[in-house]
Amino acid sequence: MDRVVELEIPARPEFVGVARMAVGALAGIRPGLAYERIDDLRIVVSEACTSAIEMLAHQPPPADGRPAGLRLRCIDGPKTLEVRIEAPGSAFDSAFPASEPEADVDTFRISLIRALVDDAELRTTPGGAELCLTLHRDAAAVDVDGDDLPG
Amino acid sequence: MDLGLDVTERDGYTVLAVRGEVDVYTAPRFRERLIELVSEGKHRIVIDLEGVDFLDSTGLGVLVGGLKRVRSHDGDLALVCTQRRILKVLEITGLTKVFTIHESVDAAVGDGQG
Repeated sequence: MDRVVELEIPARPEFVGVARMAVGALAGIRPGLAYERIDDLRIVVSEACTSAIEMLAHQPPPADGRPAGLRLRCIDGPKTLEVRIEAPGSAFDSAFPASEPEADVDTFRISLIRALVDDAELRTTPGGAELCLTLHRDAAAVDVDGDDLPG
Repeated sequence: MDLGLDVTERDGYTVLAVRGEVDVYTAPRFRERLIELVSEGKHRIVIDLEGVDFLDSTGLGVLVGGLKRVRSHDGDLALVCTQRRILKVLEITGLTKVFTIHESVDAAVGDGQG
């Protein structure tokens, strides 16, 4: 059974660590993700949130005056863990650029996202964009019914 | 989130020991400290990453920026790192070919004397 955990953070640098910590803690609840892979996911979540925060910092504030936020939706299933990060506007352009990046940091970011999760897909949403990150759990740690939780 | 930045002098090198998590929030302090050191004339720098719990592309950008700065003064910047999680980030981004990476500060300051 999938369990869904949602978290909304202000699009500010000091909250990236909160997103990382929350996703890392959630990823460790079910078996099937080694500690190293959870570490990898923490890096990619950090990269995605940072990309969005940096892009949003260069865009005009929302018309309603509210500070922009990032919405993280973690879908914790028996076979996969998905983290969907939704942000307004074209917030993930530096993580998924249309052309080759020029800045070192953007190149590093793209390399890390590509290398450290099993799948990374950018989707358009009505209000902006959603980056969907997927990790597949180790099949040996997940039983056939997906009933891998104690109790 | 706390970031530790401790500077010591060792055998003609300036050793900057970094502790904690280096990300978009803490990286500006790290960058500023490196810029200060270079502007103080410290052009042989060793950055000790053994106390770093987390490093992402923002931190890598600081390291590369520091390397460019010291090289513009004919200096050098080496890293100390044995942590697998940090080495993995350096390997994926190709930076193990850019930086000299040592297993200890002793090795880093000794290497340059040979």
